[in-house]
Amino acid sequence: MTEIVVTGMGAISSIGLTIAENLYSLKHEISGIKKAKHFKSHYAGSLVFGEIDQSDESLLEELALKKGHGFTRTTLIAMKAFREAVSHAQLSPEDIASTRTAFISSSTVGGMCYTDDLYHDANMQGSPSEYVKNYEGSDHALQIVRFYGMKGITDVVNTACSSSANAIAIGARLLETGKVDRVIAGGSDCLAKFTVNGFNSLRILSEEPCKPFDTHREGLSLGEAAAYVVLERKADVSDPGKIQAVFSGFGICNDAFHPSATSDDARGPRMAMELALKRANLSPENIQYINAHGTGTPNNDLTESFAFSKLFKNVPAYSSTKSYVGHTLAAAGVLEAIYSILSIQNQEVYPSLRVEEPIADFSFQPTLRYTPEVAITHVLSNSFGFGGNCTSLIFSACI
Amino acid sequence: MYIKDLYAISPQKTHDLSFENGDWKVLNEYIYKAIEPSYQDLIPNAQLRRMGKAVRMGMGVSLPLLGRNPKPDGIIFGTANGGLEDCIKFLNQIVEYNEGTLTPTNFVQSTPNALAGQIALLSENMSYNVTHVNGSLAFESALLDASLFFDEHAKEEKRLLLGAVEEISDYNYNIDRLGERFKKELVSNEELLDSETGGSYCGEGSTQFYLSNNPENSLAKFTAFKQSSHLFHDEIAEFVMRFLEEQNLTASDIDCLLLGRNGDVTTDSWYQKVEQLFGEKPTVYFKKSVGEYRTVSAFASYLAVRLLNGQAHYLIENGATVKPRTILIYNHFDAVRHSLILIQK
Repeated sequence: MTEIVVTGMGAISSIGLTIAENLYSLKHEISGIKKAKHFKSHYAGSLVFGEIDQSDESLLEELALKKGHGFTRTTLIAMKAFREAVSHAQLSPEDIASTRTAFISSSTVGGMCYTDDLYHDANMQGSPSEYVKNYEGSDHALQIVRFYGMKGITDVVNTACSSSANAIAIGARLLETGKVDRVIAGGSDCLAKFTVNGFNSLRILSEEPCKPFDTHREGLSLGEAAAYVVLERKADVSDPGKIQAVFSGFGICNDAFHPSATSDDARGPRMAMELALKRANLSPENIQYINAHGTGTPNNDLTESFAFSKLFKNVPAYSSTKSYVGHTLAAAGVLEAIYSILSIQNQEVYPSLRVEEPIADFSFQPTLRYTPEVAITHVLSNSFGFGGNCTSLIFSACI
Repeated sequence: MYIKDLYAISPQKTHDLSFENGDWKVLNEYIYKAIEPSYQDLIPNAQLRRMGKAVRMGMGVSLPLLGRNPKPDGIIFGTANGGLEDCIKFLNQIVEYNEGTLTPTNFVQSTPNALAGQIALLSENMSYNVTHVNGSLAFESALLDASLFFDEHAKEEKRLLLGAVEEISDYNYNIDRLGERFKKELVSNEELLDSETGGSYCGEGSTQFYLSNNPENSLAKFTAFKQSSHLFHDEIAEFVMRFLEEQNLTASDIDCLLLGRNGDVTTDSWYQKVEQLFGEKPTVYFKKSVGEYRTVSAFASYLAVRLLNGQAHYLIENGATVKPRTILIYNHFDAVRHSLILIQK
């Protein structure tokens, strides 16, 4: 079977504007979930968010883009993370533009992040805003395609909170089947009134920073992030020093239970993990760390723990790094994939923050403090979404 | 990828197949609304009331297909916008109630993956399930995903439900009208291509295919497809010819062209460039039937399968006697996103 490797990574989140800054915060247990500075909403005062500490104006300036051309925040953070990933993988402008390079992105809010502009345009109030042609879910990807003159295959996935995990899996399949030679895969979602009010209407937002896998968890914290990885076939990589990790396998399925909740027996999450292990040709005892979906909602953390208890005889170290950055929706899968790779590279586990009393129903508990010097060869990373979408990814050390 | 079965809800009477048999609806509207069948026997009323139009049309197509075929091994959808009406209803609530206490129904229904999720739920299907939202290449992306799926499972018989859906709401119509995508004056769809103004008319619908890697009893096959999101006007000829070369075909092997001309004088020249490559060819301009929308290439593919099976022949211009076996579809949106699909008997 064709070995797929990660050769570049880029990320922007509430705990860092680059991979290096993200790593620093992970190691030092610095959470990005707090009162918002830039995000304007009725809930900005009462709720906490994993907000990226960089304004739209500052992002425009850093990326040397002009205001007035429909660059939404989703696009701006995507462009920044994309730039870091392709530079990390040492891709030339010709590589990026090549017909043999695919770009697989994802977003849930997409171009609809400026709720008030969209309201005015959709209800024909006043003259069109600068974003009138930028509301599609795929707009950020199209802006990047234009900026880099990309000639290859594009795709944008929306399977809610598992979106970018699926983007990575689709990218790997394009490489395995020889359709392209390199893939840039990931996703972007920024804070928006639309999603904040959506999750609030479902009553699953926590007033305090989320505490996944705690008995008294009260819901999730929303965050924003963009992240991309560059994938290539191992056989094509001439400089082994470029290889960050091996992408060993994935499992994709549907829970087929409820539009916005996981089944009690967690059949979907279990099946996704089993499929990923099968595809990676690994058994449960080969996994040393699980980067859990761990949203902090009563339903998810209980059912995901239940799935662990059924699949693993001895549950390995696990944690939810959403306790650092909040739930970054479409970007969560790729951001957590990158955190999983950092875990492998640095042989350490980043904890579930703020857990005071782990869920009592199980004999195991998440990693509660930053733990260095852990032997980690294989990491499982989970992403489950509305609509029943379940995806598990496995990353491995490059041997 | 072999097409075993297909069904569509569209602005023409595809739901009862009278469109295929010659009943062509003349449309004198700005909005080409889908003709929806009665869903009474398909979907319980309580569920139907909660469904947005995209989910409703999508279920209206998938349930009959699933009912008469074995359980698929995957569900793959393409939609640029999903349930936009619910989305903007929710948005209006956010603004009008100043982010007060809102009901989640519209929010949950508005997510583009709601349809594929609902199908999985109602048909108790836990298999592969992905929704692509790649704008006006969303159906092409779903096609690509399907082809990857069959490549990976070449050794065993596998089946997929592949589909597309797009709905018109007042809101997205407003947005696209502000974006100058639609005509301000009204001409009938019979005269659409003679129009000398910019923009087109807005259509909607859901088109779905039941696919298999087993050629037995198939209606047609998706032989190849190609997409581009970054093409210059002087590159389109090479884009098309290279695609044919990759399939070991020449222009003369194409029996019939399906072109996405939509009466927009600012971008129809791309189609003329492609027509010039083929000379006098039997051609169908499918947007005369269903208007412009972002996953309309799924409808074009549906029409291609009908034509390959001797139906809807009356739509072919410039080819009264042709019995097509190889059909090429070319479509673009805004002259930015381009798509070629080759469908053969």
